[in-house]
Amino acid sequence: MTNMFRAVVLVLGLLLQVAPLRAQVYQGQTLVEASLVADTTAIIPGQPFRVGLLLRMAAGWHTYWENPGDSGLPTTFDLELPEGFTAGPLQWPLPQRIIEPGDIQVYAYRGETLLIRTITPPADLGVGTINIKAKATWLVCEQICIPGKAPMELSLPAGGPAAAANGEVFGRFEALLPSSEPPPFETRWTKTPTGWNLGLGAAAGGGKIDFLPLTEGAGHTAPRDIANGTADLAIPIDDSAPIRGVIVLENENRRGWTIDSTTGSTAVAAAAPKAADTSRLWSYLLYGFIGGFILNLMPCVLPVISLKIFGFMRQAGDSRASVLKHGLAFIAGIFVWFLGLAAVIIALKAAGSEVTWAFQFQNPWFNFAIGAIVFVFALNLFGVFEIVLPGRATTGLAEASGHGGLAGSFAQGILATLLATPCTAPFLGTALGFAFSQSPVVIVAMFASIAAGMGSPYLLLSAQPGWLKFLPKPGAWMERLKQFMGFPLAATLLWLLFVIGQQRGTEAIIWAAAAYLCLGLAAWIYGAFLGPLSPPRTRWLAAVGIALALLLGLGYFAGDLFARSAAKGPVEAGGKEADGIRWVSFSEAELQRLRQEGRPVFLDFTADWCLTCKFNERTAINTPAVRDLLEQKGIVPMKADWTNSNPEITRKLAQFDRVGVPFYLFYASGAEEPAVLPELLTEQIVLRALGAKTP
Amino acid sequence: MKTILASLLSITAAAVVMAAPEVGQPAPQFTLIDCCGETHSLSDFKGKTVVLEWLNHGCPFVQKHYDKGDMQKLQKKYTGEGVVWLSIVSSAPGKQGHMTAEDAKKTAEEKGSAATAVLLDEDGKVGQLYEAKVTPELFIINPEGALVYAGGIDDKKSTDPADIATSTNFVAQALDELLAGKPVSMAKTAAYGCSIKY
Repeated sequence: MTNMFRAVVLVLGLLLQVAPLRAQVYQGQTLVEASLVADTTAIIPGQPFRVGLLLRMAAGWHTYWENPGDSGLPTTFDLELPEGFTAGPLQWPLPQRIIEPGDIQVYAYRGETLLIRTITPPADLGVGTINIKAKATWLVCEQICIPGKAPMELSLPAGGPAAAANGEVFGRFEALLPSSEPPPFETRWTKTPTGWNLGLGAAAGGGKIDFLPLTEGAGHTAPRDIANGTADLAIPIDDSAPIRGVIVLENENRRGWTIDSTTGSTAVAAAAPKAADTSRLWSYLLYGFIGGFILNLMPCVLPVISLKIFGFMRQAGDSRASVLKHGLAFIAGIFVWFLGLAAVIIALKAAGSEVTWAFQFQNPWFNFAIGAIVFVFALNLFGVFEIVLPGRATTGLAEASGHGGLAGSFAQGILATLLATPCTAPFLGTALGFAFSQSPVVIVAMFASIAAGMGSPYLLLSAQPGWLKFLPKPGAWMERLKQFMGFPLAATLLWLLFVIGQQRGTEAIIWAAAAYLCLGLAAWIYGAFLGPLSPPRTRWLAAVGIALALLLGLGYFAGDLFARSAAKGPVEAGGKEADGIRWVSFSEAELQRLRQEGRPVFLDFTADWCLTCKFNERTAINTPAVRDLLEQKGIVPMKADWTNSNPEITRKLAQFDRVGVPFYLFYASGAEEPAVLPELLTEQIVLRALGAKTP
Repeated sequence: MKTILASLLSITAAAVVMAAPEVGQPAPQFTLIDCCGETHSLSDFKGKTVVLEWLNHGCPFVQKHYDKGDMQKLQKKYTGEGVVWLSIVSSAPGKQGHMTAEDAKKTAEEKGSAATAVLLDEDGKVGQLYEAKVTPELFIINPEGALVYAGGIDDKKSTDPADIATSTNFVAQALDELLAGKPVSMAKTAAYGCSIKY
């Protein structure tokens, strides 16, 4: 088990890829700790990554935003990069408005801040170590101001396997970066004798609205409470020049949009309003319910659903009350999973992380654990072992089977839902996108409604067991059917191993499979020698055998070898020709470049653990007709592979209010906005979308 | 007694009428005492070009211009050409930059200040009257008593003295233009520095 701990320590170490701290000490007090952090553990050729200047200020002290306000100085963050590397502009998270005596207002950061720059390495980068040098200067003020500076350096391996790093801090500050999209509410600019008046219509719910100017010479705005969804802000500026700045909406969280007076006056609510008015909420809840119902038909859940149907058949002879109890236990399992997920999402959101649907499948350990559960479940169906509850031998069959059966139904409910999440059903995409941006109450309501939708068919079948009469009578065939049901589960295991392989490479599949083998051995020993009828000596030996098998499997194969198999990089540009389409791997910069060149782009958001995505790709995208059309029209096929967590893709999805895959966009050449394709594709839909929109 | 009353009245009047000092408008009137007990009123300098410089020697932006003698050079050059240069300290007692009369005298000597006078504005009234926010922040008043420049010292917003050589000094530019009888081309700039410790 120490290996397991070592593995955990190793993983934690990787997560904290931080260059040594530089501290600014003034009269014995540390005022600022500066460090250079990267969001990756290694550099992949041609693949942009981000570095951040992490500043931690002593309590009461602050450093400044790009517009410092009345006093102060913006922090600088210059990079010295090896040849061929390029760096994007400095991105500033939202600052605070701090008011000092004499009505001196500044825009600054207290506590901690992360200033972010995106670095693009050259595509032909070799293997080796890359040194990134940075120079930062800042002014830190409390009552008094002290300038500080720090040279910093960060070394990253190049060309190696890369994993995400510093996800927590990047996630937290990325959420505070102002969006360049139009805000989800109307903005009206009116010129006044003293500056501008900014009117907001249909602003999101309630909260506070503020404007932080970026134009030099602009005065300060008093933040306003939003009343009845509207608010007016006065922005003083001397001349009638256009004004640019960040509008900040503060309710449960804090979000900002960069806006300017040249576009605002006429720009009326380009994006769909996120306001949670009641009728809208109800329609989204209905979508959630329908989407939840449809989840039952998704390929990912079918193995477990078939188990449940089988369970219903077996119960067909039981009393009505018992059938209902089992149905309810199964539904309870569904609810527990969804509400648990809602709780986790709310907690993560509160901690400021970026949360996405099915994010758990981006974690190879999660996939490994689910694989283990599915495998043990399959062995159980094959008859390798029976789950015997301790009470069974002594307290009579009836009670125990009632008990164990209910727990089993509950577990099946959880498992079914667990497997369902990667299949974002139609409707769920919109409904979840809506829910993720809302308050905790709405998130819980949304998940409850999906759970209700998914559980509804079982409630009907349990409450009306009469309908089950259409199913065949129980008999000896049931044992065979049970064994047969093990195969779809084994197939699910194959899929999970495929995902693990995509994330961590072939070695990881082998080590995971070896761990499962040991688990299988332990299950067999349990089934064969640990029954209530075995003599104590046998049972003792069996327990030792199980312990050894588990130690070997989970401690060595999983905890050591599997843990050490490193994450694999995403698909490289043009590298995956096996499917006949020359996919270009997604980056926002590349997409903008192609669009500026006037080339149409088909953008496929996918992940290896997303069966719906794979199904769409096989049946509707990678077909001769679509391939020909792409070729003929010069459409660039671009793939955003979300198998491993990738913040750039997450951001792009968020632009369209999506939190999961599949998702498809088509940018016609010259078009402002892309066309959004449905989540379940047919070849016809793809051909029509690509054909009709291109001149 | 009469003069005190008059100046009090004029300050109040100025504060009411001149809610915000505007470039091109008459500069708000004030009276302050310097390091050595002498009283200076803006009205005393009618017919002369006057520079107001907000000062806090603890502020790194002020240090940028004083430590290598750049500000002193400006003061020397333009007072030599008949300009009145008033450095004003608006820091409240107990806060950074605050000086007693004695401190002010000592510091002015130490730093080699060539200002006409260093004025003490403990209660921050004059600073507030001009809506001065940072140190250094400068104002220029022409011989007719109108405000002709308000803003920063130069265009390189930093605390590094090495930047001075390559920056455009707005105050020197404005004074040169005034002395040559030309209108001030950059009459309003963004001041940068530490907040004034009111």
